[in-house]
Amino acid sequence: MKESSINVESRKKALHYFFSKVVDPLGFKFTPDEELMNFLLEQEVILEGKHGIPFCPCQPLRHNRSRDMQIVCPCIPFHRKHFDSIKRCWCGLFVHKDVFDPDKLPQLPPEEANHE
Amino acid sequence: MNKKFTRAIVSDEIAPGGMKAIELDGNEIIICNNEGKFYTVQRRCGHMNAPLDLGTLDGIYITCPMHYAQFDVTNGEALSGPVPANIDHEVMSPLLSKYMQNIGKLMNHVRMVSIRTFATKTKDGWVLVAL
Amino acid sequence: MKNVKIYTLSTCPWCRKTKNFFTEHKIPFTFIDYDLADEATQNSITQELDASGATGFPFVRINDEVIVGYQPERYAKALGI
Repeated sequence: MKESSINVESRKKALHYFFSKVVDPLGFKFTPDEELMNFLLEQEVILEGKHGIPFCPCQPLRHNRSRDMQIVCPCIPFHRKHFDSIKRCWCGLFVHKDVFDPDKLPQLPPEEANHE
Repeated sequence: MNKKFTRAIVSDEIAPGGMKAIELDGNEIIICNNEGKFYTVQRRCGHMNAPLDLGTLDGIYITCPMHYAQFDVTNGEALSGPVPANIDHEVMSPLLSKYMQNIGKLMNHVRMVSIRTFATKTKDGWVLVAL
Repeated sequence: MKNVKIYTLSTCPWCRKTKNFFTEHKIPFTFIDYDLADEATQNSITQELDASGATGFPFVRINDEVIVGYQPERYAKALGI
């Protein structure tokens, strides 16, 4: 039997469904920037196809299990303080629920972000 | 062409969000309840045949317990392949290492395919499936 | 002329924006896409990341200054433009 090739759109839809349930109780939602959301989800489908796991498209894979698990999307729980202070996750796929203008959120590393 | 529907299970036996594996006229199937709508898929994973009913159903997505392959139960579509096992840099005896290497070579030939679905409807408190 | 070195990921849209910034301002730069590099190169990049405490891409080095994340205002300031 010929192998099924993964349909990218179907997989994006499934990831959207699973991820929504994870990030919602954390106070996050998908970015209102739909073009960015689509691009990032697509990159994650590609990464999942390559590695078997949907990693963050904007952080390095260390080829060390315990470190790489920290960038499996959604990686918010592993970077809670950082992401809460910049109101977005690193790649910008998720933003705080009260964000409607995601372009105005700079991509700041932890040491430059304002901590409470 | 009219499909012949067979009574499979009493609707109340599967709560919304749940699934049940049954054998119907020699066919191993799983009936899933997604918010009151029923779907039927083949029981065996399209990857390595593991019983999907031992996995999880979340909405319309079923996940295999063996390697976490996922399928859409509404159309049987394979959505994601197997997740690599967590062995990291585990130190193995030479025998085990050789065994794992051989298994690895064979696993490269294993392909994932979509799973079969069966037309499903409800009538008079029963879930009916067309085999 | 300031020396600009960038580490990026081929899958990251912010990295693409970073490259565009320097291209549009006609500033020459070198870059390496970490995910497409060989193991040895990846190791040396992660060493450099760890030395600066950086955990994500894009990673931009303008002479001695390191800027992590897409920050066009800081690039401009570091370049004096």
